Amino acid sequence: MNLKLKALTKSIWVFHAATSPCNNCDIEVLDLITPRYDVERFGIVLVGSVRHADALLVTGVPNYKTKERLKKLYSQAPKPCVVVAIGGCACGRIMFKESYNSPCSVDEVVPVDVYIPGCPPKPEAMIAGIAKLIKKVRGEKQCL
Amino acid sequence: MSIADEIKDKLASKVINWHEHSVKRIYFSIKPGDIREVASFLFKDLGLRFATASGIDTPGGFEILYHFSFDKSGQIISVRTIIEDKQNSEIDSLAALAPCFEWIEREMWELLGINFIGHPNLTHLLLTEEWPEGKYPLRHEHK
Repeated sequence: MNLKLKALTKSIWVFHAATSPCNNCDIEVLDLITPRYDVERFGIVLVGSVRHADALLVTGVPNYKTKERLKKLYSQAPKPCVVVAIGGCACGRIMFKESYNSPCSVDEVVPVDVYIPGCPPKPEAMIAGIAKLIKKVRGEKQCL
Repeated sequence: MSIADEIKDKLASKVINWHEHSVKRIYFSIKPGDIREVASFLFKDLGLRFATASGIDTPGGFEILYHFSFDKSGQIISVRTIIEDKQNSEIDSLAALAPCFEWIEREMWELLGINFIGHPNLTHLLLTEEWPEGKYPLRHEHK
């Protein structure tokens, strides 16, 4: 693994894309940056633009409008960019599968690296997911 | 004079059905043609706050509830109106009264297909611009 990629895994900048969620996952994501969980100790920071981001964090089921925006966001992100799907809606489509405004799931639009299910997932689960993602990027062996 | 008595007094000729679910939840029905006059009285003269409106497809027609809130007493006054003609469902737009009516009317238009006469900008709000014309997702097939 090259030095640049190793350095990146120590300072993951995250852009939060909310593709029509119910806001419950977003509130749990906010918990992550409070002092109780404080993911900034791992170098994880939320940034305001996807052009500065190393990871794209997606919540909610894409609808016809947000699907296009998600595509645009991913194309604007500097590569390598990892995609994290947070919550049951982003992982699959659960109860919104038959909805009139739900054309596809997140992984049909962008390649998802980590799925963190839950409604909403606990902040601990998100940290565990990110820890596994970092190991995957570094090519280390996962201890499950 | 309470707000309920004031409405009853002034709109006596327009109110079809008065129902007090509790002290704070008052419902009354009017004809769709009277909505502009009634809303203008509630919103402009009595100074009620417009909370939201809700549309639903019922077997008897499209039912719209306009919810007005009287914040001094915490009462919610809901105006119920039923548009019976489902083929050409039309009602006067209230967007001329205040901009707060605009978005909810756009939403009801795109999801239920109710035409709001006199609305300044009846375009898609939640659905995509390419949504097929004449397809209204919240309409039901009543048997």
